[in-house]
Amino acid sequence: MAGVVNIVLVESVFLLRSGIESLVNELPGIIINGTFEGNEKNLLEKIKKQKPQIVIIDPDSLGNDFVMFTNRLQEDQDIKIIGLLKQDCPDNVKSRFSQFLYISDSKHKLQEQIQNLSGKKTEKHENGKGPLSKREIIVLTEVVKGLTNQEIADKLFLSIHTVMTHRKNIVKKLGIKTVSGLMVYAIMNNIVEIGEMG
Amino acid sequence: MLIIGKMKLADVIHHDYNLVPVINRFGISLGFGDSTIEEICTNKNINTGFLLTILNTFHDKQYFSQEYFKSFSTETIIKYLRKAHAYYLEKKIPEIKQLINQLGEMSEGNKKTIKLIADFFDEYAAEFSKHVEREEKVVYPYVLRLENSILDKNNTDEMSPEIGDYSISNYEESHEDVEEKLLDLKNLLIKYLPPIDNSSDLFQETSYLLLREIFVLEKELNEHSRIEDLILVPKVEEMEKLIKNQE
Repeated sequence: MAGVVNIVLVESVFLLRSGIESLVNELPGIIINGTFEGNEKNLLEKIKKQKPQIVIIDPDSLGNDFVMFTNRLQEDQDIKIIGLLKQDCPDNVKSRFSQFLYISDSKHKLQEQIQNLSGKKTEKHENGKGPLSKREIIVLTEVVKGLTNQEIADKLFLSIHTVMTHRKNIVKKLGIKTVSGLMVYAIMNNIVEIGEMG
Repeated sequence: MLIIGKMKLADVIHHDYNLVPVINRFGISLGFGDSTIEEICTNKNINTGFLLTILNTFHDKQYFSQEYFKSFSTETIIKYLRKAHAYYLEKKIPEIKQLINQLGEMSEGNKKTIKLIADFFDEYAAEFSKHVEREEKVVYPYVLRLENSILDKNNTDEMSPEIGDYSISNYEESHEDVEEKLLDLKNLLIKYLPPIDNSSDLFQETSYLLLREIFVLEKELNEHSRIEDLILVPKVEEMEKLIKNQE
């Protein structure tokens, strides 16, 4: 979903988990789309599958795995990690997080911080031709013709990395992930004609 | 709310009418007066523990309890899952398709667009049915063989190489995203339907019905996979472990 910030929460204490969830649910444009207790099998994969922009972690929930876990999660640059800490949390734990929340804070303060940390920017509205840039429309045209990333790169004299970035942005902006979904979008918006399909 | 056997089924349905298709799958039809869940189960020869597990899993996404696990077999679960599959494939998907077709009929200007959406949905339906077929033809028979070989104690040796080959933990992974197309479909309808001829009340009402059906299907499928992941998978993992330990 474009424009919505997805948060995953790792907290073993049920009351805290539900509490944070209900605080976040009152905020606009931010949702908790996964909660974990911390002891799940393949937790890292499960979290990544939710494609969160933010992961809120209570270090107590992960026990000794905590350092290794945050390191591996940090390999994914798109994910921001926020600590959910007690006021007397030791400095060596605190320093693992660039940003944190204190469980003892007031409702208002917690919500304000979550909102700030999520960096919810209002998206730019471009007039006229829908949400995609000219470049993205060109790439989209090739995608729906069935070309691979490499073929598109060759054809448009772009690096494959650039093509992938464009694709990622297209999917993000439109909220449409599958190639056949993109195809429907492209035809509906007269970006390509049915006859042009490969 | 936790649903227990001593509750009146009518109260439960008042609280969550989404459970109606679920009880239908157990052969319970509306008009059950003041009977409790237990009474209805005894009458209809339904495993109460299993019905309660399914109702609670559907009703509360936080619910996970193995309280009744021992009281029902995997065969019971699979029978239920097959019924649910049939309901999606034979009822829900055709209903959605019909609504899409109705939309196409009511707007000249949008005919081409609606045709695209219909084709897209057909593609989704084909993928979904392939996914179901795999479960029914590969996964379930494997699980049933596993259960039979445990019941019939001598037979477990034959099963253990197969566990090595297959194992239910692969299932969770391959149990992936037919859902993406459904999400795309919602966005195509909500955000990108071109504004030609679609402002009539009838078109808007039908679009609403269509969207509602898609949301309902999506919700039901999520709950269905939760049942698979939380009830079937752990039970099978337990059986796999049992057989491996006997080696």
